[in-house]
Amino acid sequence: MNCREAVEHLYEYLDKELTPDVERAVRQHLDDCRPCLEQFDFEDAFLKFLQARCRARCAPPELKRRILHELFGE
Amino acid sequence: MVHLDALYRVALRLTGNAADADDLVQETMLKAYRAWHQYEQGTNAKGWLLTILRHAFINEYRRRTRHPETVDLDAIEPFAVFEDIQEEDPQGRFFDQIVDDEVLRAIDELPEQFREAIVLSDVEGMSYEEVARILSVPIGTVKSRLFRARRLLQAKLYEYAVGMGYIKGSRT
Repeated sequence: MNCREAVEHLYEYLDKELTPDVERAVRQHLDDCRPCLEQFDFEDAFLKFLQARCRARCAPPELKRRILHELFGE
Repeated sequence: MVHLDALYRVALRLTGNAADADDLVQETMLKAYRAWHQYEQGTNAKGWLLTILRHAFINEYRRRTRHPETVDLDAIEPFAVFEDIQEEDPQGRFFDQIVDDEVLRAIDELPEQFREAIVLSDVEGMSYEEVARILSVPIGTVKSRLFRARRLLQAKLYEYAVGMGYIKGSRT
C-alpha cells in the first residue's frame, strides 16, 4: 500500500470501519511511513478532541421530569 | 431514558436552541412510547430513537428553525489543515486551547447535512451503517459527507485558532 492509498482510507481506519485485511495493510504502511503516521495521529487527535468537547452536555433534569410526567402521569 | 442525553445533544445541534431541543426530545419520547411495539428487540435502541427524532425534526421543526440549505455541498473544497501546520504543530496541540462553546458554534455553522453526520458519528459514536440508516442514505454518502464535514470543521477551528493567536499558521 502506498501513501495515497493509505490516506484514502484515513477516516475509515480511524473509525474502525475497514475490513481486517485492509486495516492490516494500512497499519503496515503506517509502521514504515512516518509522514503518514503523523497525519493519521493528527486526525485521530482531532476526532478525540471533537468528542471530548461535545459530549459534556446532558439533558436538563427539568426535561427528564417533564417527559416522565407526560409518559406516566403523576 | 438511558439515551436521553444523546437525544438532547443531537436535538440541540439540529434545532440550534434549547427550547426547541426540549420540545423535540419530548415529542420523540412520546412518539417512541406510542410506537414501542414497532421496535425490534435486540436492535440498536439509540439508533431507533434518533431516527424518530430526525423525522420529527424534518417534519415539524426544520421549516421554522432553520432555512433549507442553498449551498452546493459538492462545491466545498476539502482543505487539509494538517498540510498547513505539519511543521508548526503536527500533533494538533492547538485544538486543546479551543473551548467547548467555540467548537459547538463551529458545528452549528456547518451545512445541515454535514452537521448531522458529524454529530451522529463523531459525537455520538454511531457506526457508518447506523448513521446511514438514520439519515436514509447509502454508506458511501455517509463517508463522503463525514470526510468533507470533518475537513470543513477542522478548517473553521484552525482559522479561529489562528485568529485568536493560539497558533501562527501559514495561511494569510
